[in-house]
Amino acid sequence: MASWLKPKRRRIYLACFVAHFLVIVTVSCRESVWLVARGLTLLPSPLRSYSERIETRLLSIAPSNAVRSSFLTYLHAAGIERAYGYFAPNVPASYRLVFELHYPDGQTEYALPLVTSAAANLRLASLLDEIGRTRHGGLREYLVKMLAASVWNAHPEVTTMRAIFESLKLPTVAEFEAGERGTYDFLYVYDFSRRVDPP
Amino acid sequence: MRGVKERFAAFLFPAETADWIGFLRIGLGAQLLLYALSLKSDWLHLFGSRAAAIASGPLAEGLLNTQSQWIPRLNWLVALGGALGVAEGTVLAFIWYILLVAGCGLLIGLFGRTCAITGWLLHLCVAKSGGLVSYGVDNFMTIGLFYLMLSPLPDRYSLDARWRERLREDRHLLGFFRRVLQIHLCLIYFFGGLTKSLGAGWWDGTNFWRALIRPPFNVIDPEVLVRWKFIFPAAGIAICVLETGYAFFIWHNSTRLPWLAAILAMHIGIGLAMGMYLFALVMIVLNVAAFGPGHAWSRRGEEDVDLAEDLALNST
Repeated sequence: MASWLKPKRRRIYLACFVAHFLVIVTVSCRESVWLVARGLTLLPSPLRSYSERIETRLLSIAPSNAVRSSFLTYLHAAGIERAYGYFAPNVPASYRLVFELHYPDGQTEYALPLVTSAAANLRLASLLDEIGRTRHGGLREYLVKMLAASVWNAHPEVTTMRAIFESLKLPTVAEFEAGERGTYDFLYVYDFSRRVDPP
Repeated sequence: MRGVKERFAAFLFPAETADWIGFLRIGLGAQLLLYALSLKSDWLHLFGSRAAAIASGPLAEGLLNTQSQWIPRLNWLVALGGALGVAEGTVLAFIWYILLVAGCGLLIGLFGRTCAITGWLLHLCVAKSGGLVSYGVDNFMTIGLFYLMLSPLPDRYSLDARWRERLREDRHLLGFFRRVLQIHLCLIYFFGGLTKSLGAGWWDGTNFWRALIRPPFNVIDPEVLVRWKFIFPAAGIAICVLETGYAFFIWHNSTRLPWLAAILAMHIGIGLAMGMYLFALVMIVLNVAAFGPGHAWSRRGEEDVDLAEDLALNST
């Protein structure tokens, strides 16, 4: 059964439509501007400084807390809080976190963060990307500690642990054909020891 | 001016059959089901808050608070369970089962609206509390479930329509929600393609190669891949053109089917070559629901019925 919506209802749908897509376009434009402003694209430097100015202006639009919270809640609820530039403008580096486990008898073992399924492994890679991307040393250490705790849980007899965070330098096609298979560059190291509660 | 307004209204509220919403419901039901099943063995490990958990719900939720305290999250449900004396692990397991049930409900179309709302809300809670371990698939599932829960349900293929409720198909409202999904997909691909085009690596094939050998997406042995190196630049450019051009070529009758087929082939390729099966599935579901039935292909006689209805509406 077809029915033509009443004009008032149609106007409400139209207003929601306009607001919804205005937000999507703004969020997507902001990401593109952000990429240009940071010199991550092919675009020349004059455009870079222009983009920086636009980005500063976009960031200066800060409504009051309640309005801002409602707005951001809607963005998250509708899945439109971020732009869609996956693997753009370039494919980022890959990261690896290796744990060096030290046992009381002097034995040393190496372990990777634990997940059992391929689906969870994709999610773990997202977490490693987050650790590699963040500029906040405290957050990075917290995230590494969190992964260390999960490994510790699986190896309770370990006394001390060293977490080594590395980025993978992917070979180009030519380098791969010349026999190079990618190298891990050391980025950060953290040492953890189990806290022993007094008897 | 009035003509423009009428044409815009006709564009925004076209008469549509329920085929697309039936496909979206079934597709997202399957997606929700596979999402829950694929994470079954790691569910508590990923989303719990104890030492064994890797995603640290409290940290992710703390980061969420910097944006808004009203964004749905697992902690609300865990706290509710706690108030009733239910342990966190039990609450999380219960959420997993509810997601599974919501997926099944959507798949067969039983309690469709309830399942769509429940699926959207619980998935959103999991995706936000597990924000540190989320990736593109969560974003697109949220988008799909959000539109599904707002769209006119039940559709004619659901068990709800057959057993429980009288079918109330408003074809123009169905058309409006399909248009929203279509335009959203156009923006997704346009901006995705545009930002890729701004990277040098997509023009010389470097990024295509890097995407396929980057762990954990390195499903295909690089030794095999490198034999096909001559297609990398063309494949990289093709991805940029396909994505950016989607917003333009998907609307024209003569280019719609080939463009849709190419985009679907790209997502099948991503699923098989990079191991991102869930991501591929949700993108295929959204694309086919948006531009498949009634657009890229029609059932016999369907176009005639649509045309007759539009003509009847225009004459009233």
